[in-house]
Amino acid sequence: MLGYILTNQQANEVQGVFINPYCFINCVQDINDVWFFFGNEQDKETFKDSEYMWLFDLPQGEYIPKPSPFPYETN
Amino acid sequence: MILASHGLIGSSIVQIDADWLAYYNRVIAAGGTLTTTEQNATKQLVADLKANSLWTPMKAIYPMVGASAAACAQNLKSSSFTGTFTATGWTFASTGATPNGTSAYMQTNFIPSVDIASASSNHISFYSRTNQSVATNCEMGAFDTSTGTPIVMLAIKSNSSGSDRYELRHFCLNGNIGPTPPLDTRGFACNTKISSGAVKGFWNNSLIGSAIVVDALTNKEIYIGGRNSNGTANTFSPKQCAFASIGDGLTDTQASNFYTAVQAFQTTLNRQIAP
Repeated sequence: MLGYILTNQQANEVQGVFINPYCFINCVQDINDVWFFFGNEQDKETFKDSEYMWLFDLPQGEYIPKPSPFPYETN
Repeated sequence: MILASHGLIGSSIVQIDADWLAYYNRVIAAGGTLTTTEQNATKQLVADLKANSLWTPMKAIYPMVGASAAACAQNLKSSSFTGTFTATGWTFASTGATPNGTSAYMQTNFIPSVDIASASSNHISFYSRTNQSVATNCEMGAFDTSTGTPIVMLAIKSNSSGSDRYELRHFCLNGNIGPTPPLDTRGFACNTKISSGAVKGFWNNSLIGSAIVVDALTNKEIYIGGRNSNGTANTFSPKQCAFASIGDGLTDTQASNFYTAVQAFQTTLNRQIAP
């Protein structure tokens, strides 16, 4: 799955930021702890009036998720 | 009579449930809309829950109607526990809210240790419209790794124990418990506890399994579409959510009546899953 790649600084800047009262930005780290943002053409409609449209201009890369915590959860 | 003089006949004035009206006004105030069918479906749902003594036990009810984040965020029961969604990764439609299974989740602002009255009486439910064979997801839950591992998880099919199972880690300390999961993950899951330690899992109105657990309430907020693991979302689910709820425990009879009410709601919206 392709996603937009962020630097650590960019991720810290946007993580958890609300772009309207009911929607906040969420980025996730891949298996190499690289930050990714996922958004499609429809999502751009949600962002068009925000200051975060630049997220959709970031370079893209293949996202490899971290292993699921299952089945060896220690807690 | 003033009403008659203005052409209004008493019998034509319809009593609108005040709780439903408050919900509808919340949707509108949030910038959302409900179709006439969605209005009727949610009105009837409120009526059915009240008629079956199910309204009081509910603390958070997310009907997932309105096809928008603003509408789906609204709690049918009250103005508390209004949700928020990740800005990307969700698809909102008349059939429900679908997360991408990679990064999307919903915050409920519901913290069990604060908002659940009793560790021995509680329930959560989730209506899935997606059949998924992979067993690494959690439909909703919260997990505290720092203080004795209190956990609540609703996962129709997980492999947290090394083999596929329907999760019954329900407001308890961690433990590997849960029956064989359903072959098809579309349907209504409701996990409930009405006495200390005894969890029951109902899948499409049938008891799928039960377990003995050690009651515990996590202080982490419950997420929908994934699990809150000490403040970080993971085990993201791609299952379309057509309803979710959190609240007090339900007896077997209440759980059955709850299924009937929710199924009637889904049928009105033409998005029901046949059991």
